[in-house]
Amino acid sequence: MTARRTLTDLGVALLAIAAIAVVLEVWSRAFQVPSYLLPAPSAVAARMATDAGLLAREGGITLSEAAAGFVIGTSVAFALATVMAWSRPFERTLFPLAILVKLTPIVAVAPLFTLWFGFGTAPKVAIAALITFFPMLVNSFVGLRSADLQEVAFLETLGASGREIFRHLRVPSALPYLFSGARISLNLALIGAVIGEWTGADRGLGRVIFVANANLDLTILFGAVLVLAAIGIAANALVGAAERRVLHWHPIAVAT
Amino acid sequence: MSAAIALHNVSAAYQRPVLIDIDLEVGNEVVAVVGRSGTGKTTLLRIIAGLVQPTSGTVDLLGVAPAVARRRKRIGFVAQDARLHPWRTVRENVTLPLEVNRSARTNGHVSPDEWVARMGLTDAIDSYPHQLSGGMRQRVALARSLVIDPEVLLMDEPLASLDELTREDLRDELLRLWESRTRSVVYVTHDIEEAVLLADRVVVIGGTRPARIRGEVPISLARPRTKREPRFYDLVQEVREHLE
Repeated sequence: MTARRTLTDLGVALLAIAAIAVVLEVWSRAFQVPSYLLPAPSAVAARMATDAGLLAREGGITLSEAAAGFVIGTSVAFALATVMAWSRPFERTLFPLAILVKLTPIVAVAPLFTLWFGFGTAPKVAIAALITFFPMLVNSFVGLRSADLQEVAFLETLGASGREIFRHLRVPSALPYLFSGARISLNLALIGAVIGEWTGADRGLGRVIFVANANLDLTILFGAVLVLAAIGIAANALVGAAERRVLHWHPIAVAT
Repeated sequence: MSAAIALHNVSAAYQRPVLIDIDLEVGNEVVAVVGRSGTGKTTLLRIIAGLVQPTSGTVDLLGVAPAVARRRKRIGFVAQDARLHPWRTVRENVTLPLEVNRSARTNGHVSPDEWVARMGLTDAIDSYPHQLSGGMRQRVALARSLVIDPEVLLMDEPLASLDELTREDLRDELLRLWESRTRSVVYVTHDIEEAVLLADRVVVIGGTRPARIRGEVPISLARPRTKREPRFYDLVQEVREHLE
């Protein structure tokens, strides 16, 4: 059931992309648009086939950076949200700091991260972690606070400890919020990794796009963007499938 | 024998005073607390359970402070329109009270599955709350509050969100439960007829805020009771007069 849903989602996405490609193909042929302005989708496809090895390798690098950043950023966010949900003073202290992090333009600090962490994987992971942090923090915090008060009271009359209430009630209540946070953060993590590669790297899709941009090599540029999109769609479908499985009891899962 | 629940001179306030001068003793009996919506009936229950601290006065539960009774797992609590834990099946919801606060005494006699069976929910034992009707959910809420075999049972309008036929069924169910084992029950409701059908004693709270105890009506009708009994509406009228 969920596997079929995932495949259907992917199929619909591919169909939409194919439709856009057809329109662009007709457009570029009918008006003979030069390839340094807008390459025909067929040319992009041909280039992707030629450089499939390169795109797969660089895509894998970007994906692993984004995945590492996602795991770190969301874990730290959930841990801080737990502390914030636990104590009002912490909430008051940490929330302004979180907003500060959120409002810092990633593009501005990306070169700084390269200075701090070097040209390797670390600054890309750091940027991906930073950019995923805030949406996950807010969602986790709201989720942990969303527990039904009557149910909290019920557990309290049983002498349940704060830790037990957290485990049995607050965390499961937060799950729908955690999943929507994960969906947002996942795409942001990919963007973060690409921005990191853009500002100083010799590897990854961001680097491919950066070099292609400088050389007006638009077929490989669009090829890299498409690979990035494919990774994003696949990751989203995966989260969606996990969500439907874990939240089978939730109206969202029941309704869709 | 000292009362299982004893409140003396209890007052409570959130931003403004809610309850004042509440004196209430409950032994092994069913006491219905009747009042208009928003008079502080739920607050009263929360004070008895120790979830809200009174601003003055004392509360004794089974001879100890409510917080101690809670830690010993002596209190059963049924809320209006219980949402249960939607990620747990009926059986898992009923076993939940046994999974928390494990150091305290838990039930010896009746297993969770047996409670589910007594509530007529065996066929739904592996269902999730969203698959149940409101009446079935309240039955689960009853089962899960009774699985620890509490001496004190606090009920906050447990039938208020149900349709009339389901309410009748559950009323009978409650009476059977109370007859099978004596407990101290505080049953909060705004429904006077329901109070007269169920309780040994009806306590009326109300008045301009803060609310106080306006009167008390002993209900000596034999059980099972019906509304056709000649004295039924006399008693309802008596309760009503205290409310007005």
